[in-house]
Amino acid sequence: MTELYATAIFLFVLFALLGSSVWIGLALMGVAWVGMELFTSRPAGDAMITTIWTGASSWTLTALPLFIWMGEILFRTRLSQDLFRGLAPWMRMLPGGLLHTNIAGCTLFAAVSGSSAATLTTVGKMSIPELRKRGYPEYMIIGTLAGAATLGLMIPPSLTLIVYGVTINESITKLFMAGIFPGLVLSSLFMAYIIGWHYLRKDERPEPEPSMTFAEMFKESRFLIPVMVLVFTVIGSMYFGWATATEAAAVGVLGSLALATIQRSLTWETFSASLMGATRTSAMIALILMGAAFLSLAMGFTGIPRALASWIDTMNLSPIALIAVLTVFYLVLGMFMDGLSSVVLTMAIVEPMIRQAGIDVIWFGIFLVVVIETAQVTPPVGFNLFVLQGMTQHEISYIAKTAIPMVGLMLLMVVILVVWPELATWLPENIRGQ
Amino acid sequence: MNDWASVLGVPLWGWLFVLPIMVAALCYFFQAPAKRLLTPVWRFLDRLYLASGALAAAFMVIILVIIVLQMIARWSSISFQGSTEFAGYAMAATSFFAFAYALNRGSHIRVSILLNINNFTRKWVDAYAILIAAVTATYFARYAVKTNFMSEILNDRTQGQDQVPEWLLAFVSMFGTWPTNWGELWATVGSEWVYTPVWLPQLPMSLGTILLAIALWDNLFRLLINGESNIKGEAVE
Repeated sequence: MTELYATAIFLFVLFALLGSSVWIGLALMGVAWVGMELFTSRPAGDAMITTIWTGASSWTLTALPLFIWMGEILFRTRLSQDLFRGLAPWMRMLPGGLLHTNIAGCTLFAAVSGSSAATLTTVGKMSIPELRKRGYPEYMIIGTLAGAATLGLMIPPSLTLIVYGVTINESITKLFMAGIFPGLVLSSLFMAYIIGWHYLRKDERPEPEPSMTFAEMFKESRFLIPVMVLVFTVIGSMYFGWATATEAAAVGVLGSLALATIQRSLTWETFSASLMGATRTSAMIALILMGAAFLSLAMGFTGIPRALASWIDTMNLSPIALIAVLTVFYLVLGMFMDGLSSVVLTMAIVEPMIRQAGIDVIWFGIFLVVVIETAQVTPPVGFNLFVLQGMTQHEISYIAKTAIPMVGLMLLMVVILVVWPELATWLPENIRGQ
Repeated sequence: MNDWASVLGVPLWGWLFVLPIMVAALCYFFQAPAKRLLTPVWRFLDRLYLASGALAAAFMVIILVIIVLQMIARWSSISFQGSTEFAGYAMAATSFFAFAYALNRGSHIRVSILLNINNFTRKWVDAYAILIAAVTATYFARYAVKTNFMSEILNDRTQGQDQVPEWLLAFVSMFGTWPTNWGELWATVGSEWVYTPVWLPQLPMSLGTILLAIALWDNLFRLLINGESNIKGEAVE
């Protein structure tokens, strides 16, 4: 009974603090403090700092600021223009035409950046005006972009996966590898949707693009080669075991600095802006992680996670039913919170549950990312919607409506992951050099 | 050990929590004089926040350097002892030093549904949220400082293989004592390398959390005086 009582108090304080717009990291600390004072006799403050210090100075966490920095550097280069120019010649041949640059651009940028907002901005900055100019329907431009930008969270490097890996003490390299195939499958689903639109809504097709010779196509896309090299170096070095996730991130930072130098877009301004931007984002995530670390300590003392895990166990839920319940749970949570916070907030409870149910935690990380991605494009709180609103001046409700088919495809992706879990688990189990 | 022992006859919580709240009340009731008094303080604090952010950025570059050196060392089979610990310390420093700066640039996220209802809630829900956050951050800072002091008193050493030169410890210690003791401090310093005492990497935690608490109280005062806080650019980046 104590657990039930404790749960009620935790939830109440949590919603009171989060709802009154206290910053998430500090709100979590507040909740944890209340829990410690009410349910344990341990000195709350000392326990808090010990936990926070251990987490904040951990080696695994160092991958986080470096991957953020890498994305920030590339975000400030000419990559935005280059992505569109380089991809357009190849995409024009596909049914659905240049709309595919949204998907391919997001997939490619996702492989150098771990955030979906950055992916969205980089790709959208160029593709929205260009696609509008060519007369593609607005709802397709916005919708496909909103959906595809979520790939930023899935294709490595991914900030959400780093945070997940740090929270549950699993290898970040394995999680990154697990994200690759599901990310590619999801992007093919988006492309299939565009192809479907091309054949079903014939009257909406814009004028076909003038044809180009192969030589011209290569000439246009030569700028993409350095980016591709960077992508393969970063991901390849992890796959072949040459570098840990953190080292791969360091290579990524150096590589993107070199890339920016070659493009002549590396000035002192862009360098310091990227560094300061990365510092801010990494501090934001660090504060949330600290709050979450203290909260899981406090919850551990109350015994809620264990009680919940054994309760789930007695219910004899099949893993599939558990996954279905968790999908709904995360979708609802994601309506009010951003993805990172909902991961760190729930892992203390959910981790023992899934381990008890015998679900692979690496697979679960990928599942979680897909569900959270979906929540990024559902109102009222969806980061991608906010970013797109800023870029296009459309109403949130309009943008959300255009993204509905994408939400459907992402839910389909969840089903695919459940039916073929190997999609996520095969690559991490076959990493070289272990 | 009593965590809230009296300082100058007032328990510590009085200084840390009640006093700032009283100042906030004064700021609200005497807006014009408070503004006159605090404007030079604000100018100083704004520079301090930025400087702390720049320091955090410097530590991020240090993480990069440590990791690159570690890779080079591994390829050339030289040992770089304690590289992972050093990278961890730099990571902590990056996070803690950047807190206040990130706060003022609107980077820390929160659920802003209530905040965005109308102008009244925008001001008063914000004031309430900042107050709660400031109290939490002050508590955080108080225990960070306590832990930092305890590490020093207990002479807590690192669990890893990382070592630092003694002169570095002496140099940092100079800031924690009166100049009259400096001669004595340096007289005992050898040229040895010693296992890192935990208080050294914990210093950024103390300083960063103190600055975060100050920044939050500062924002509360500014909100009550000017009708808007110092948190600018809450746009998604």
